[in-house]
Amino acid sequence: MNSVEGLLTQIRGLSSTASDVLSLQNVLKQADESLHAESTRLLPFLDQLDPSKHSLGYLYFLEACTAGPVTTESASSFVLIIARFISSCVAEQIRLAPDKFISVCKRFKDQVLLLEEPLRGVAPMLTAVRKLQSSTEHLTTLHPEFLLLCLLAKCYKTGLSILEEDIFEVDQPRDLYLYCYYGGMICIGQKCFRKALELLHNVVTAPMSTINAIAVEAYKKYILVSLIHHGQLSTSLPKYASGVAQRNLKSLCLSYMELANSYNNGKIADLETYVQANMEKFGSDNNLGLVKQVVSSIYKRNIQRLTQTYLTLSLQDIANTVQLNRPKEAEMHVLQMIQDGEIYATINQKDGMVRFVEDPELYKTCEMIEHIDLSIQRLMTLSNKLTVMDELISCDPLYLGKAGRERQRFDFDDFDSVPQRFNI
Amino acid sequence: MASSSSSGLTFKLHPLVIVNISDHYTRVKSQLNLPPSLTSTSSAATSNNNNNNSNGGENNQQKPPRVYGCVIGVQRGRTVEIFNSFELIYDPSTRSLDRSFLEKKQELYKKVFPHFYVLGWYSTGSDAQESDMHFHKALMDINESPLYVLLNPAINPAQKDLPVTIYESELHVIDGVPQLIFVRSSYTIETVEAERISVDHVAHLKPSGGSAATQLAAQLTGIHSAIKMLNSRIRVVHQYLVGMQKGDIPCESSLLRQVSSLLRRLPAIESEKFQDDLLMEYNDTLLITYLAMFTNCSSTMNELVDKFNTAYDRHSRRGGRTAFI
Repeated sequence: MNSVEGLLTQIRGLSSTASDVLSLQNVLKQADESLHAESTRLLPFLDQLDPSKHSLGYLYFLEACTAGPVTTESASSFVLIIARFISSCVAEQIRLAPDKFISVCKRFKDQVLLLEEPLRGVAPMLTAVRKLQSSTEHLTTLHPEFLLLCLLAKCYKTGLSILEEDIFEVDQPRDLYLYCYYGGMICIGQKCFRKALELLHNVVTAPMSTINAIAVEAYKKYILVSLIHHGQLSTSLPKYASGVAQRNLKSLCLSYMELANSYNNGKIADLETYVQANMEKFGSDNNLGLVKQVVSSIYKRNIQRLTQTYLTLSLQDIANTVQLNRPKEAEMHVLQMIQDGEIYATINQKDGMVRFVEDPELYKTCEMIEHIDLSIQRLMTLSNKLTVMDELISCDPLYLGKAGRERQRFDFDDFDSVPQRFNI
Repeated sequence: MASSSSSGLTFKLHPLVIVNISDHYTRVKSQLNLPPSLTSTSSAATSNNNNNNSNGGENNQQKPPRVYGCVIGVQRGRTVEIFNSFELIYDPSTRSLDRSFLEKKQELYKKVFPHFYVLGWYSTGSDAQESDMHFHKALMDINESPLYVLLNPAINPAQKDLPVTIYESELHVIDGVPQLIFVRSSYTIETVEAERISVDHVAHLKPSGGSAATQLAAQLTGIHSAIKMLNSRIRVVHQYLVGMQKGDIPCESSLLRQVSSLLRRLPAIESEKFQDDLLMEYNDTLLITYLAMFTNCSSTMNELVDKFNTAYDRHSRRGGRTAFI
């Protein structure tokens, strides 16, 4: 116990200035083993430390305490302690030992899930994410944990606030996959299908050396959301998707590809029979809700196709073409679509005629100017970042080696002594 | 190492020489494997990183390497034209020059360019040094009065002219001792058509943010400065009026009348239709700019994706030797 006492006094003494904290970190790294050895008896010592001043030391102690298996009784007390620690700790000290912080937060999430109260974990986890990330463009391992808690607690709005930020730096690829996958699910829950599509697209086209389960699940949802939002699915993945994904993903999601095919044919009856036939497959993937939305969206697609052929149409005709039962239903559908901004039309109630008009946006207003201006600014920052990355990768030895091998040869000299490697 | 030469020779320097020296230097520097904060993307005469940060630099910072080589060209009467250059291996600490290599290179160049002679040598650095005199004297058995071309690889954004100087050697009497010292000479740049094209190409490789190279940018900068000046003038008048309102400055009716007549001049047209048209044109211009930015960004993204795929995709197309066309 003497070592622990000694450690406590050192922590209290060395937590004031930045250089002291660095030396404290070295001390703590060496003492880590002994702390873990006495993990069960460390709990009372935590009270002697102040989390807002001695964050680093508190973190090491806390990590050693929670190293053991999680039980329900200890969970409730630990949850309180960790939540209090997260809200009062100092961000700079925490960033010196990020992996310890991440493991403490992960235990926190496990305990909260064990107690079956994910809502308690949402706010502390959000604070933890904000303290760990070095800038809003940085994706940490805690982001997907936070989104998981939001999903389980069904508070989607908090999750959405984190999803609004653009990410430019990632610590671990697995974080990116999970973050975008959970993010996609949250957006689906909030019915922002456009953003959900974007996030799922990120998972599917992310660089990967072997196929992983997250990408497969994401691709299934991607197919469904693409059908709901766009009404069609592009059959090939873009060229920046990894070769592994391009070759394997489609064969792993065959029933969904079939669904997309029958959707494209436009016959509602066929689609419904197909869905009925594969009900349990969709159910086992937890995608039944999405599939039902796909079926109801096919009416919308058919009505949209009508706008390209007709200028005016009666409600009865719409109902017949789209295979709805009564003109009243057709009117409801059209009204809903006008409200959502998916088509532009006017309904004449007297004779039941619908006239399709063009987009009334004239691009003459000041709001439009501001909107375009903002978009231009965003695009400029993105373009700068891309140029920087382009320059970086042009100097990458891996790239230079391969590019040198495949360069064009216009002269006799180019054929001799091809430099297989640049000696850099 | 000062003053100007009195030999009366006119020097003409070709850009090929400058590009060669810069390329030699960049190659040697990048092969030395300096830490990434000091290396830069390699290109020709324009971008060499400034290594000479002597103020509190890092401990593992190496001194930038000096490169040496020969310049060759033609001397017709009083005009010396420097056409080309080649590299040499020279160790300044031991002062050993690889003579056999130099002679072999001379022979080779004589075969291709029978009129060219070794006119002198080049090196890199910020200023001519004492130790350079040894190399200079070593070359004197090939050419009685060699030239010394010095390139300064430090990038100085404020500098307007080329960081290239040509030195001649003259015998001066200093403290009663006749010594050879370096004196500066002026030179002009002379280009052949092929050189002009390549220099143009290099200059357009890296569009730096500072240069208003195109006409459009120049015109827009002009308009921007005009509007800025108008804004500052209006601010001055505004401050004056505010002061008058507060009572700090005595009221002058004649000035107030002038300000009022100025304000009545603008806006020239005030009508619904004008607003409409103005906003529509404004929107159109913005949309075109947006489209241009989009295209630019997509093209950068496309190149980046291509490079990424080449570098990291394991099963990309096998590179084979393409047929000679």
